[in-house]
Amino acid sequence: MPAVVIADAGVAGPAGAQALHDAGHRVRPAGGRRVLLAPITITPSKPLTPSHLKGLLWTDVMYRATRPLAEVRYRYSHTTYHPTEQTLGFWEFLDRTQGDAAYQDLTEQEIGDHYVAFRAAGERAAARSLRPYADAVEQGWVHPASARILELWSEQYRALGLHDPGLRAHQPPGLGLDEMLDGLAARGLCLDHRRIGGPVHLDLTRHGLPLRQIVTADGRPNYLACALRELVPLAGDFDEIVLLYDPELDPDYQLLERILADLGPTVRRVPVGRVPIDGSIRSARHGGWGHHHAGPLLTAALAEYDGPAVRLGMRLYFIAVLGPGQEQSFRPELLRQCLGRAQRLLATGESGQLGTPALAGLLGRHRRDHTYVDPYRLTTSLLGKRAPAPSPELLTEVFV
Amino acid sequence: MSPLQEDLVDRAGRRVRHARPDLAERFDLSTLAGLLDAQQSVAAAASAEETLVVAVIHHLELAEWAGATCAFAFGLDPVAGARWRRSFTRTVFLAGNPANLRERFRFAHVAGDSTAAWTTPGPGPNASTLRRLLKLFDAPAGPPARPDTLVRLPGRPTTGHRDLYLATEGCSLADALVHLNHVLVEAVLDGLIAPGDSLTLRQVPRLIGIATPFAALRVVTDPHRPDRLKAAAGLTEETPVG
Repeated sequence: MPAVVIADAGVAGPAGAQALHDAGHRVRPAGGRRVLLAPITITPSKPLTPSHLKGLLWTDVMYRATRPLAEVRYRYSHTTYHPTEQTLGFWEFLDRTQGDAAYQDLTEQEIGDHYVAFRAAGERAAARSLRPYADAVEQGWVHPASARILELWSEQYRALGLHDPGLRAHQPPGLGLDEMLDGLAARGLCLDHRRIGGPVHLDLTRHGLPLRQIVTADGRPNYLACALRELVPLAGDFDEIVLLYDPELDPDYQLLERILADLGPTVRRVPVGRVPIDGSIRSARHGGWGHHHAGPLLTAALAEYDGPAVRLGMRLYFIAVLGPGQEQSFRPELLRQCLGRAQRLLATGESGQLGTPALAGLLGRHRRDHTYVDPYRLTTSLLGKRAPAPSPELLTEVFV
Repeated sequence: MSPLQEDLVDRAGRRVRHARPDLAERFDLSTLAGLLDAQQSVAAAASAEETLVVAVIHHLELAEWAGATCAFAFGLDPVAGARWRRSFTRTVFLAGNPANLRERFRFAHVAGDSTAAWTTPGPGPNASTLRRLLKLFDAPAGPPARPDTLVRLPGRPTTGHRDLYLATEGCSLADALVHLNHVLVEAVLDGLIAPGDSLTLRQVPRLIGIATPFAALRVVTDPHRPDRLKAAAGLTEETPVG
């Protein structure tokens, strides 16, 4: 039975809450379990580093491998996270320091250099300076620097064979900040001191978890507040929500898990470790990405291998070789080996048709008690010495 | 020094002597410099022996909170109250929801609708778990403007009534809690306020030109003139409601 898949691109409209509510109903059953994949987005301000590529490829394989088994929705909305201070502050910094720059002519590295300068300046714009940006985001506006980044990323997504979950679409969260906070307060899940000029905290103290500020006293929401505006209204429409995130954010994701689970679904936390460069895990805010980012990596790979080999090889390296942890530094020579391995796997792939039920059975083996397919288990299964050659359907459906 | 400044120094000195008679032997509490030295000495020696209360604030309406603070103080064990007084009724205000905490923590008093809660006065380390779980109460804005508000304290009604003044100039809502808390709980411990009494909460920019004499004053360094003191909050002598 074909799965019913609603990708998010184009879901959003001016009546965001209603649109999302309706969208939620559209994924309702044609039988299988309903799964929501909700990875954290990458701030569109810089090149995609190996850490970012790993997270994106990991999520992509999970999404495509789970599709034959369940009704999957891959929610990845930049609109949702634009209101965070690191994005709005960057835009305000650009306009203040660069004025009318021609961002459409810049590379992601050049825009990334501005981002590094912004973070290095360490200035914090006044809340009133960010307000026009926050207001414009709610109307669908994106700063041209980030629009340019998202355009470049879209091209790289295509080259990497990544499903585009609506990178450049206006996908507002289903709830406004006030509505979301009122809902949580009514359930005793947040402590809202805005009326007395104070901040807002998530309150899971009944579970022994410490308060976590999500809106500052001067009204700036952090990424958790943004995530909750999006995920709270979606939670009731799904049986399983999979949160993919950087392990450094684990305490926050424990809070998120509790809140979403309170709304009904089973919540799975899947930390995906970062990729150290020369032994150290560096935030992209410090720059120093050199040639280790998506553009040059793709150019080098495509100069030597064809598209399918690059797409499969990237997945073999970033998923099977690096694994879920973050112990191994990025090694270009291993990536290159994986591209070669992918070329050979594609050349020896079985020519016979597997059939949808057989494919579902094969994919279903790479699960435990959850509905989603584990990308690591599935991808490593391709590399076993005695593993049979992968079927063309598996490769087409999931890896290339 | 002006007579008003002399009065403020005198009142601040009396408060220190009352709580810690030993400090009167080490510092000249009749001068501002001596008072500041005594204050620094107390702050530097804050230790595990210090007795403090944690006040958890969920929803804050100042007049209701003032009444609940007195209700908490009425219920204090006299020995614990005396120990707390010796630590200058030190209170840590934390943002939190008592309804979410009652299964894990025992409170001495919880206000109606769980808007606030207070722990029994105890050693600082006793409160460390609660302090790790919650955040300092943060309310940088000033207290919202209000008309004079009558607060009836719990207990069989009496005729006792005083005015409770708060100086609002330069005062955040978080500051207001600190000032009013000291005035109220120390007034209860000293017997100035009893169950069933009533108070009228009055907010004015500065506590000057007030006809009714003050029975208790909260005295702090004037932020505009660090060489001077100012009254941050005060409780008048008994006065008719009006």
